Amino acid sequence: MNGATTGNLLMDIVVILIKIAVVVAVALLHVAYATYWERKVIGHMQVRLGPREVGPYGLLQPIADGVKLFFKEDIIPANADKPLFYLAPVIFFIAALSSLAVIPFFNSFVVADINIGLLFLFAMSSLGAYGIVLSGWASNSKYAFLGGLRSASQVISYEIAMGLSLVGVMMMAGSLNLSEIVRAQHEFVTGFYAIPQIIGFFVFVVAAFAETNRLPFDLPEAESELVAGYFTEYSGFRFALFFLGEYTGMLIMSSIASICFLGGWTIPQYVTSVLPFLAFVPGIIWFLVKVYAFMFFYYWVRATLPRYRYDRLMAIGWKLLIPLALLNIVLTALVKIALKGQV
Amino acid sequence: MSTERILRKIFFVEILKGLALTFRTLFTHPVTRRYPKEKRPVSPGFRGLHALAKNEEGKMKCVGCGLCGAYCPSKCIHIYTSEGEDHTKVVDRYEIEVLRCIFCGFCVEACPFGAITLSEHFEYSDYSREPFYMTKDKLLANWDKYFAGPKGQRYFENFWRPRISDLTAPEGQAMFKNIKVKDAKP
Repeated sequence: MNGATTGNLLMDIVVILIKIAVVVAVALLHVAYATYWERKVIGHMQVRLGPREVGPYGLLQPIADGVKLFFKEDIIPANADKPLFYLAPVIFFIAALSSLAVIPFFNSFVVADINIGLLFLFAMSSLGAYGIVLSGWASNSKYAFLGGLRSASQVISYEIAMGLSLVGVMMMAGSLNLSEIVRAQHEFVTGFYAIPQIIGFFVFVVAAFAETNRLPFDLPEAESELVAGYFTEYSGFRFALFFLGEYTGMLIMSSIASICFLGGWTIPQYVTSVLPFLAFVPGIIWFLVKVYAFMFFYYWVRATLPRYRYDRLMAIGWKLLIPLALLNIVLTALVKIALKGQV
Repeated sequence: MSTERILRKIFFVEILKGLALTFRTLFTHPVTRRYPKEKRPVSPGFRGLHALAKNEEGKMKCVGCGLCGAYCPSKCIHIYTSEGEDHTKVVDRYEIEVLRCIFCGFCVEACPFGAITLSEHFEYSDYSREPFYMTKDKLLANWDKYFAGPKGQRYFENFWRPRISDLTAPEGQAMFKNIKVKDAKP
């Protein structure tokens, strides 16, 4: 290996590290303010105010919460399985954060531009379930254990539906690379896949809610039944890791929805042809608008729907979403064959 | 299942209705009162911290009859009296354990002279028990603090009117001292 390639390699590593630092810092800031925004939206939907006291309009509330969580006493149950207890929140958090690596935030800004981006996202979101199950097991508490079990079965059931719902997108784009999917949507006639893939989008939305353990599918952490579910025994910084992981998971799911169904950082070509000045708006703005809209939908549904019964949750997953996703695949394939006129 | 019900199920009409409701609520004005900054106006006859009323000369109205203490369901009023120089009753100590008081207002209703009052003041939290043990001096000071000016007058006129001022009785009937007996009703 000569000096030039070593220099290039070092340069690449430095660039990647800087990219990682930027992505993680910005994502965590977004996560912090996602909690603030959620409390505001849900507060106003319940005719309350939401946080108002810390800083102007309560804008420093997430920082105050973070500081509080950092300095809280770290309690570990006496009979807990200590190594797993330490490991579980880290697995959960790392799994959520590493998903950020493959997400293209705007044109050609992605930490790892890999060809199996979508599969990587699925893998990481299932890996997060390990953190939940291990935390439930290691806490040595019946509430945490039940929460962990529920989460395991829920995530496994809905993973299938979510994977299948995105198969239609893969077929239309002809790629698993997320940047390629966005570019293919830009070429596509409607500008985003949510319109032809309406069934897939619906299945994806419901499965994303279940996958991130959000209402109306938050059975792993159902307060009224399981205290706090799998993180009942966690406190302080370890609890903060679970919390951050959950919100990062929401951010990831919103990003997948934005990239695979809503056109990512692009806007449809017919919009730019009518309003040409919109083409000068940076892609990251469009991406964030779509992500925020999806996050808002998360909060909106949370403020509206009650929690499902557990058997209903399983029934929706297996009897409704998976058949719908399969139907979507078949329909997409048939339409694609009909349009191309070949088998 | 009728076609309408099937359609309603497929398009989640109920859930969409719920979402529309929450979305409309998002733009309504919150009902929250930001308490320490924005205080709720106190209703007339509010039963807050106790005070001992003073008359126009600034003297304590209480004569130490003990009716309030006798009525008090939680027995938190303690009155100690002695005989004064010209055989009048002197109230030596008038004490209320505020932490035991249930704020029923029976003492105010029982008092024939309108001497014990419940003020509109309700923010008196503290770190020890002593500040909640009200002595005579503290109760009289409360009157100056919370019933200054015409407020004390209004307190009795509007809500806690002492029953004795409405009382009419035949001439010559035994009555409390200093209470004028109105003309007997025909």
